[in-house]
Amino acid sequence: MMSTIMWTIAIIAGLGLVLAIVLYFIAEKFKVEEDPRIDDVEKTMPGANCGGCGFAGCRAFSEAAVKAPNLDNIYCPVGGNDVMKKVAAILGHEVKAKTPMVAVLRCNGTCEVRPKTNEYGGYSSCRVMANLYTGDTGCVFGCLGCGDCVSACKFGALSLDPVTGLPVIDEEKCTACGACVSTCPKNLIELRNKGPRGMRMVVECRNQDKGPAAKKACANACIGCGICVKTCRHDAITLENNIAYIDFNKCKLCRECEAMCPAGAIHGINFPKPLDKAAVKARIAERNRKEKEAAAAAKAAEDAVAVPADALAAKPAAKPAEVPKVEVEVKMEEAPKQSK
Amino acid sequence: MLKTFSIGGVHPDDCKISKDCKIEVLPLPKTVYISMAQHLGAPATPIVKAGDHVKAGQVIAEPAGFISAFVHSSVSGTVKKIAPRQDLAGRNVMHIEIEVEGDEWMEGIDLSDTLVTEIPSDNKVILDKIKANGVVGLGGATFPTHVKLCPPPGKKADCLILNGAECEPYLTSDYRIMLERSKEIVVGAAIMKQVLGGCPAVIGIEENKPEAIKKMQQALAELQASAKGYEGISVQVLKKKYPQGGEKQLIDAVMGRQVKSMALPIDAGAVVQNVATSLAVYEAVQKNKPLVTNVLTVTGNTLPVEKQHNYLFRIGMPLSYIAEYAGGVPEDAAKIISGGPMMGKAIANLDATTVKGSSSLLYFTREMTQRNQESACIRCGKCSEACPMGLEPFLLQRYARNGMMDELEKNAVQDCIECGCCLYSCPANIPLLDIIRIAKGDVTRIIRSRAPKK
Repeated sequence: MMSTIMWTIAIIAGLGLVLAIVLYFIAEKFKVEEDPRIDDVEKTMPGANCGGCGFAGCRAFSEAAVKAPNLDNIYCPVGGNDVMKKVAAILGHEVKAKTPMVAVLRCNGTCEVRPKTNEYGGYSSCRVMANLYTGDTGCVFGCLGCGDCVSACKFGALSLDPVTGLPVIDEEKCTACGACVSTCPKNLIELRNKGPRGMRMVVECRNQDKGPAAKKACANACIGCGICVKTCRHDAITLENNIAYIDFNKCKLCRECEAMCPAGAIHGINFPKPLDKAAVKARIAERNRKEKEAAAAAKAAEDAVAVPADALAAKPAAKPAEVPKVEVEVKMEEAPKQSK
Repeated sequence: MLKTFSIGGVHPDDCKISKDCKIEVLPLPKTVYISMAQHLGAPATPIVKAGDHVKAGQVIAEPAGFISAFVHSSVSGTVKKIAPRQDLAGRNVMHIEIEVEGDEWMEGIDLSDTLVTEIPSDNKVILDKIKANGVVGLGGATFPTHVKLCPPPGKKADCLILNGAECEPYLTSDYRIMLERSKEIVVGAAIMKQVLGGCPAVIGIEENKPEAIKKMQQALAELQASAKGYEGISVQVLKKKYPQGGEKQLIDAVMGRQVKSMALPIDAGAVVQNVATSLAVYEAVQKNKPLVTNVLTVTGNTLPVEKQHNYLFRIGMPLSYIAEYAGGVPEDAAKIISGGPMMGKAIANLDATTVKGSSSLLYFTREMTQRNQESACIRCGKCSEACPMGLEPFLLQRYARNGMMDELEKNAVQDCIECGCCLYSCPANIPLLDIIRIAKGDVTRIIRSRAPKK
C-alpha cells in the first residue's frame, strides 16, 4: 500500500520534472521579445479605448508610441498633456504641449426658430434619416436631432435638450476624442480650441443657402452677409459658400462680430458677462468715426503739409483702436471659472 | 408549377386598384423644371442658357461621364433659368426651368401611332440612337441603357430578360403599357435582342396579370407571323412573389442561374430590361423620339375609383401639378410615396418634379404607415426566411449596431438589394433594413477603397 503511494508520487514528480524541462526549452525557443515599455505606457493611458487617437485602442496606441521615433503625430486627446508628458518621460522623448480642444456644435436651429416642413416617422437615427432625405425642417444643413452623437460619445458628455431639440456638450466631460465629429452625417460638430477659461466665439450655423432661403428655413441661420468679416480687425473670420467661419487661432474674443451679426448666428460661449450689444456697437461706431476723421485729417495733412495743426489732430485718432483690447483683458481677469 | 426565384420572398397584398384605368395624357403645365440628375451616375451638364428657345425633344444637357445620359426638353418654350431646386428628398439638384409655349417638337420625331416593325440592321446606329435619345432603365435604378446593352469584352449575353413582373404592390404603369403598347414593347425587345447578338429574349410576367400575359402573347404571335427578326422571343409566366422584379431574382426565376456576390447580371449571361425601357427603346430607335415621357400611377386605398389614374406625363412636371390635376391630395393622406410601397421613397417635397424614372404618386393614411414600437429580437428567423439574397438580417443588424465591419463583410451585407422583405416580415418591428442599408453603404465604401491596392 505504502509503496504504491510512493511510486505514484515518484512517477508524477518525475513526469512533472521532465515536462517542465521540455516546456522550458520550448518557451526559450519560441520566446517573443516584447518591449516592456509598451506595458508601462499602457498603464498611463486613460483606458477608454475610444479610438480618438486614431489607433484601435490604448494598447495599439502604446505599441505605436514605443515604435515611433518621436511623438509628433501621436497624441492621446483624452489624456491630454498630462498623460503625454508621462508617456514622453517613459520613452525619453520630448512632447510639445497641445492646446486643449472641445467639441462644439455648429447649429443653433432650435425647434422654436426652425419650423418643421414634414414629419419623419422612420427609425430614429440621424444617419438613417440623412440617408433617406434632407431632414424634417426646411434647413438642409441643420441638426436632425436623433442623437447619433449622443450614442457615439463614450464619455457621456452629450445629451439632447428636449426643449431646443439640439445636443448639449458637457465641457467637463468632453475629451475631444472626435467620435461625435465623425458620426454626425451633417458634419455639424467641430473640435475647437477650448480658449482661455473656456471662452470662445462660434458661428453656430452651417447653412450654405443664400440669405433669404437660409432665413426662411431657420430664424437663427447665418445669412452670409459678411458684416462680421468687415467688423473683425483680427482677420479671423472668412466667408465661404454663404457661411461665416471664425478661425479660433486668430480670434481675440473681442465679441464685436457677435454684436454686429444681424442674424444672431454668432455666439460667445462661457463669457462671464452677457454681451452689451448697444455698448459694443457704439464703441465700433465711435471708432469708425474717429478712423474716418483721422483718415480725412491725414489726407488734409497731405494736401496742406504746411499746417501742423492737422497733423496733431491725426495722432490721438490712432489710439482708440487699442482701447477695446484693454477692456477685454480686464474682463478676462474678472472671469470666474465656470462652465456653460 | 410556375417558375419563380428559389430563396426567400414575401407575399404582400398586390392592391392593383388602378389596373383598369386607361393611360390618360396629362395636359401641359405653365412651367416645367427638368432635373439634371435623372439617371444613375454623373448629373448631366446643361448646354442651354436662360433666354434660349427650345423645342420639345431638343437636347438641353449632355452626359458628364461614361455612366451618364442626355437630357431632352419635354416641352417647347423659353428657358427661364438654370438653378438648383429641391428634388423629392429635399436635396438640391440643378434644374432647367422652361416656360411652356405651345407644343412644337423637333423635326424628325415621329409622333404618330403607326407601328414600325422593320429593325435597322446596323447595331451601332441602334446604340447611337438609344444613347442620343437619353434612354435609361425605367425599372427603378435609371441606369443608362446603352451602357447595359454593351457587355464588356469577353462577356456574352445568353438571354435578354424583359421585366414585366411589376412585383411592387399598387403600381400599374407597367401593366397598362403592356396592355396598350404591347406590340411596341415586343419590337423594343427584338431591337435589344439584335444588339446583344441575337440571344433569346424572355418576357417575364407575374401570374396576377392574366390580361397582360394574353395581350403580350397575342402581339408576339402577330409580329412573328408578319415580320422578320421576332423569332426566339417568348412570354414566361411567373409565380407571384415579391421581389420578382429584382434583377438577380428575375434571372434566377427565368434562367435558373445565380448571380455571384458582387457580380453583375452579365457575369451570369443575362441582361435585364424593364418593359417600359423596351418601349422607350422602341420610340428612340423606330420613332426617333427621346425619352421625355413615361407613365405614372396615381393611387391609394382611400382614393375613390374615379380618382385613380395612370397618366402619361412629360418629365419635369411638378408632382404637385399632377396631384392637383388628379383631384388634389386626399385629406387623410399622411404620406405620399414615389415608387412602390416596398422600395419607393416618401416624398418630402411635393414641389419636386417628375423625372424619367418616376412611377407613382401613392397616398397612404397615417394608420397604414405608422411604425409600431420596436421590441427585442425573438430569433424566429422570419427575416432570414424572407431574404431573397439568402442573408441573415437579424445577424447583420446586430453586427451593424456594434460597428463590426469585418463580420458584416463576411456575412455579405454588400449583397443586400434593399428590397425590404426582412423589415416586412419582422414580428418585433426591428428596423432591419434601415440599419442594414447604412452598414451596406459603409462596407461597400471600404471594399471600394481597398480595390485599387490590389
